Amino acid sequence: MSNLPFDPLLLAIAIPLAVAVAIACGLPKRWSIRLAYVGFAAPALMALHTWFYFAGQTQVHGYAYLTNYSTGLDGIDGLGISLKLGLNGISLPLFVLAGLVGLAAGLYAIQSTAERLKIYLMLLLVMQAGLMGVFASVDVVFFYLFHELALIPTFIMIGIWGGRDRSYAAMKVTIYLTAGAMLSLIGLIALYVKSGAPSFDLITLRQIIAARPLGETVQNNIFALLMFGFGILVSLWPLHTWAPLGYGQAPSSAAMLHAGVLKKFGLYGLIQIALPLLPHGAAHWSHTLAALAAVGNVLIVGFITMAQRDLKQVIGYSSVMHMGYAFLGIACYSVLGAGGVVLLMVAHGLSVALLFLLATSIFHRTHTFELTEMGGLAQKTPVLAAFFVAATFASIGLPGFANFWGELTIFVALWQYSHCLTIIAISGVVISAVYGLRAAAKVFFGPPTEAFARVAAQHPPSDLNWREKLPALILLAALLFIGFWPKSLSTPLDATLHAVYAAPAAVSGK
Amino acid sequence: MIHAGLNAYVLLSALLFAIGFFGVLLRKNTLVIFMGLELMLVASTLALVAFSRFNGTLDGNVFVFFILTIAAAEVAVGLAIIVALFRSRRTVQVDELNALKH
Amino acid sequence: MDIASLQTLAANNDWLAIMPELLLGCLALALLALEIILPAKLHSRLPAVALLGVLALLVFQLLGFTAGFVESESFNGLLVHSREGQVMRVFFLLAALLVGVIGTISLAKQKLPHTEFYHILLVVTAAMMLLVQSNHFVMLFVALETVTIGLYILVSYFRSSPLTLEAGLKYLIMGALSSSILLFGIVLLYGVAGNPELTGHTASAMNLDSLHAFLAANRHNFLASVGIVLVLSGVAFKIAAFPFQIWVPDVYQGAPTPVTAFLAVASKGAGFLVLLVLARTFSPYAWLLAPVLTLMAAATLLFGSLGALTQHNVKRLMGLSGVSHAGFLLMGVVAAGTQSMAIGAIYFYLFAYLLASFAVFGVMALVAGPDDADQEISHYAGLAKDSPFLALVLAIGLGSRAGIPPQAGFMGKLFIFIAAFKAGLYGLLTVAIVGVVISIYYYFSWIRAAVFSSSTLPDGDANARPARTPVSFTTGLVLGLLAFGTVLLGLYQGVLGQWLNTR
Repeated sequence: MSNLPFDPLLLAIAIPLAVAVAIACGLPKRWSIRLAYVGFAAPALMALHTWFYFAGQTQVHGYAYLTNYSTGLDGIDGLGISLKLGLNGISLPLFVLAGLVGLAAGLYAIQSTAERLKIYLMLLLVMQAGLMGVFASVDVVFFYLFHELALIPTFIMIGIWGGRDRSYAAMKVTIYLTAGAMLSLIGLIALYVKSGAPSFDLITLRQIIAARPLGETVQNNIFALLMFGFGILVSLWPLHTWAPLGYGQAPSSAAMLHAGVLKKFGLYGLIQIALPLLPHGAAHWSHTLAALAAVGNVLIVGFITMAQRDLKQVIGYSSVMHMGYAFLGIACYSVLGAGGVVLLMVAHGLSVALLFLLATSIFHRTHTFELTEMGGLAQKTPVLAAFFVAATFASIGLPGFANFWGELTIFVALWQYSHCLTIIAISGVVISAVYGLRAAAKVFFGPPTEAFARVAAQHPPSDLNWREKLPALILLAALLFIGFWPKSLSTPLDATLHAVYAAPAAVSGK
Repeated sequence: MIHAGLNAYVLLSALLFAIGFFGVLLRKNTLVIFMGLELMLVASTLALVAFSRFNGTLDGNVFVFFILTIAAAEVAVGLAIIVALFRSRRTVQVDELNALKH
Repeated sequence: MDIASLQTLAANNDWLAIMPELLLGCLALALLALEIILPAKLHSRLPAVALLGVLALLVFQLLGFTAGFVESESFNGLLVHSREGQVMRVFFLLAALLVGVIGTISLAKQKLPHTEFYHILLVVTAAMMLLVQSNHFVMLFVALETVTIGLYILVSYFRSSPLTLEAGLKYLIMGALSSSILLFGIVLLYGVAGNPELTGHTASAMNLDSLHAFLAANRHNFLASVGIVLVLSGVAFKIAAFPFQIWVPDVYQGAPTPVTAFLAVASKGAGFLVLLVLARTFSPYAWLLAPVLTLMAAATLLFGSLGALTQHNVKRLMGLSGVSHAGFLLMGVVAAGTQSMAIGAIYFYLFAYLLASFAVFGVMALVAGPDDADQEISHYAGLAKDSPFLALVLAIGLGSRAGIPPQAGFMGKLFIFIAAFKAGLYGLLTVAIVGVVISIYYYFSWIRAAVFSSSTLPDGDANARPARTPVSFTTGLVLGLLAFGTVLLGLYQGVLGQWLNTR
């Protein structure tokens, strides 16, 4: 039994924020870095703690660690907005993911040689606080609020520390993501207004809607708002074009946190909010969503990925492609499908963060992201090569890694939904195997190209040092742990999904 | 003796108002624009007095005094600004007063 | 003296009900008197006297000394003292205080008398407080004109600069034109409502309650609808709503920065309060009001956002983005026609807007040089490096105006959106989303200049940039409080939220 004298969820949000504020107030650099370790480690420790003790927690309305902090708006006639924190089986895996990826991204940022490191760390810490908040919030307004809190630093980080096209990339990402966020905000407001609920918190919304389901047209309209709003945020084809550009330009830690964790906000919103509350809407739009995801995200983006020559672009596009599987799982509208999506979100978050981390480490050694100018790095840096190959295997979905369970569950759920889509999805795995292995081969194996030989002569590449290895190890260990023991996440997940999806599933079954 | 009805007064005041309004919009000399503005206020006072007389309430007559005071204050401030502007720019034509563009 | 005895006094003596306004007027006169009495070397203390006086009045008001008069009329129905009026008194006093603080920064860069600035500021503030409590067209018009004429003087206060005078003249012509239109509308309504041949005609046609009763009895009178449109047009000038917003960029650019802030916040707030009162009075003509206001809101939102996109001068940018804020507030006014919670949302939005805008204007006053009209975005280059504190305040203020959580501006927009959604204004919501996305773009280009300029903006003309004013303790404290308040109000709505709730 956990009996902490404090609320671990609140602290997971507050500590990084407090450290960020302290750095903003002009802490000297040496102390900023020391405190930043605390700021990144605290959420991860809290997340692991809640994960470890989750089963023993008493659950209120299906939520463990449920606490409520008033904002002055939760009176009887009020709008019903309050900072309500809690974890259920759906949010727990993502809370853990946010903690782990945050720690890895933070460690990697601290060892990096970024200019103006203090501001960089401060923004990352704000982002980290926002991410922990997103998955710990039970209140829909705060869920959205924390997402924006995490999103704004992304724009700024792309704008300051980005690559060559950072101005254009920052603007495009800003506009796409703001538009997506606004659409989903309107959808969430619609949900609140149309349900007539006295509060924005999910528990009340669920109870009210279970007692009085929304009309079919209303559901269809709201689901469309949420699907396309969240869809932009998760890079649903054809609204995905911001993603490869943004990730290509973003500094590594920002890309790790955004692609690894923040992007999952949209999928999480769909699974936690949209699917259980709007079953008719989900059924109505499931074909559209499935078609867009299967043809657009998996096939088209898959082929585009194969044509990429830039390592970061390959990873960026591949993350768009993997989101296609997640959308397919959501389109199935079943406990199995949703569960698979949550597992895939965690697995993909860890593996894509690891890939972005390693890609940057490769860049420091080759001074280019061009695949055609690399080769033979494995002889000089065997550890880096091992890590990268492992991450590629994870990303493809080989057994032993967490991704395998996510994809497998989704394929099983999808088979029940549509045989044809399953075949497309599985052919996607082949595509991802082709580009993933080819990228690994180009970078590490084969004879070194002339260009790389020249660079290597000037700056002899050294293998991964410990400060790079540690964050990579955290991520890889988590991937393997979940890969070999998926039950640690799937047991609470299963319980919550059955509870949350039971009532609406009966409605849609009719 | 001709008896002018309410409609005649309202029509006259509307006409005065329109003359003043288009004077403000179309004329280029600031002083003439100012006269247009005053004409619009006068049109309102005329209508007020007429309505007050025909409706049999005194509010309108009282309001007129307030309007006259306000108009006087407006003219005082306005002319002060125009004089100050003329001193520095040597013109009171609005189409030449266009320094405030980006 | 307890509340009950105050109430009995109020029955005999209405003057106590407008004590804050009277004291403000006395303070304004006292400033002029003190300038004559005191020796010249003490004149530099007079602004502090004015600000401390306003601060004392603010405390006086917050402690609720006039609470005994809430829900009562005074001066034969000329004024109605509502709870909203109490809140708006705080709003205007706060605005006057902050304008005064920014004024000390800007006036220090000019060779001009200081005392008159504060004198007029206080008079205008008192008139605004009366304006939002007036319940009679004569009171409303006189208060409005006192505000407007005072603002003519304030806008052209830096009289050595031809740009300021030009702005003053433009504001004068536009303001007088709108007042005349408003007045003619009032006259028409007075004439129609008092017409003995119509049912429900009233002897006190200038009184808003009587007018409301008359309009409810005659729902499709032609002259009355012309009057309503004229009155709304007059008010639209004050709040800078489309198509009466053309004066905004020029006047905002030319006016002294503290006055620009005053125009942007207090004058706009007063305009919206008047609009709310009038919308309630004209509610029987909802068939006319709703489409006119809806179109106005949509056009204002779009025009403001698109106009702001191409601006390089930050004062013009603030002006045009303020126009799009007026669009959001108008959306709230439309929603208030059917949803009472929209009124609370508008108040919250106004307070969030006040905090954020003054934070930004405060930074603007510090960054501006002696030529107050020349404030380009490029002048902000490298602000984060030279003064991280100012850059942070600027980012928080602009973020709140853009509606980014966790700042208060987000909550304000959220409340307005909820109200609009409850009222079923789906078309307007769509326009509002477009507006928000565009506004993020232009606010970001400013923040980008301040925070990461060294790499994105041509740094060659760094010498052409005016010298920045160092942050004094008072200014720093005020700006810090504004930024802190903006974030706090975004996360914890507390007292204001409860007040909203119980509406």
